[in-house]
Amino acid sequence: MTPHLPRAIDQGLANCHVCGKVSPVVLRHCPRCGSALHLRKPASMQRTVALLIAAGALYLPANLLPVMTLSELGDVMASTILQGMAEFWRRQAYPIAIVIFVASIMIPLIKIVALVWLCAAASGKVHSSPRILGRIYGFTELLGRWSMVDIFVVSILVALCQFGAYMTVTPGPGALAFAGVVVLTMFAAMSFDPRLLWDRLESLKAPDPTPPPPDRE
Amino acid sequence: MAVPERTAARCQRCGVVLYQNRPASLVRVTAFSLTALVLMGIVNTFPFLTMESNGIRTELSLVRAARELIREGSPVIGWGVALFTIIAPLAMAGGMLYVCGPLLVGRAAPGARHVARWLGRTEPWNMIEVFLLGVLVSLMKLGKMADLYFGVGFWAFAALMLCMAAAVAGIDRNELWDRLEVAEE
Ligand SMILES: [Zn+2]
Repeated sequence: MTPHLPRAIDQGLANCHVCGKVSPVVLRHCPRCGSALHLRKPASMQRTVALLIAAGALYLPANLLPVMTLSELGDVMASTILQGMAEFWRRQAYPIAIVIFVASIMIPLIKIVALVWLCAAASGKVHSSPRILGRIYGFTELLGRWSMVDIFVVSILVALCQFGAYMTVTPGPGALAFAGVVVLTMFAAMSFDPRLLWDRLESLKAPDPTPPPPDRE
Repeated sequence: MAVPERTAARCQRCGVVLYQNRPASLVRVTAFSLTALVLMGIVNTFPFLTMESNGIRTELSLVRAARELIREGSPVIGWGVALFTIIAPLAMAGGMLYVCGPLLVGRAAPGARHVARWLGRTEPWNMIEVFLLGVLVSLMKLGKMADLYFGVGFWAFAALMLCMAAAVAGIDRNELWDRLEVAEE
């Protein structure tokens, strides 16, 4: 068990979200960079949950609708993310198929599940070690942007494959939904405050929890 | 307490680095962000990738990748691609140069605080390394369909990715703000 360490929140000290300076929250604005001070990210849980619901709603259309359409000599072929990956697998380009599978299918799903779990842990619905949860949070924040790779592939193919009737590639409706999932999960990871996990642990340890000073603003 | 160059202050209990004074941080950030800006000029002037099929040539550039999406009826994704590959990297490199350049001579540029605040917000949206992976995946996809040639723009883009990574890694947030605070006094 770690010894009881004093917490900044109990002394009314806030860590600036922008520059990292620690100052009394009563100042309301950071003396170094001028940003608004909060003890914790404001409405962190509500924002994260709302963004996750939106991302979850877009997840199915993102994977079921075609992200691009290839017309080759009159043949029109729409392809989803999964079909694009299967095509690489069939051509025995296994490393690329695995990269697409991890970046486009696994990472968004892991991100959504991990953030839902983090929100559940921070509100006390599941009990897991904050240390492991904190690592999962770091992982979701670090890897999220790599899911955008498929959107860039669509943009590159659309720009390159403009050969009129011979061959053209046009973007499909799935691309917008997919980009939406990536951007929404990135915002969700940014709005989550991992310190809420430790606050939860703290309130479990203390039998007589003193309410934290109200967050101004 | 001052932390000498090349050393770091660590947490007494768990040993995590709290602050560190990276060697010649300001010179590095200034040099790398200046180089990145020059490379961006090259990336956007020279072709990136040329594709030839049935006697027709098409070229890929960052601007074209975004513009063709807008033209093909996906303006939202088109502007997103422009934001992630052109606007965010340009804002980051320009912003770092604007803040760190004057700090080299111990001065804070006018409005440097606002610029520094926006730098942190822009960082996650700079996705040039992800775009480069996208280029590699596209190459594999197109491999058999057409002849592809790399242009000067492609190599400049690879170098740009390294420069941006080096510039971002050159200074940490606390150090930048500490130096800005000292310069403004
Ligand atoms: Zn601040």
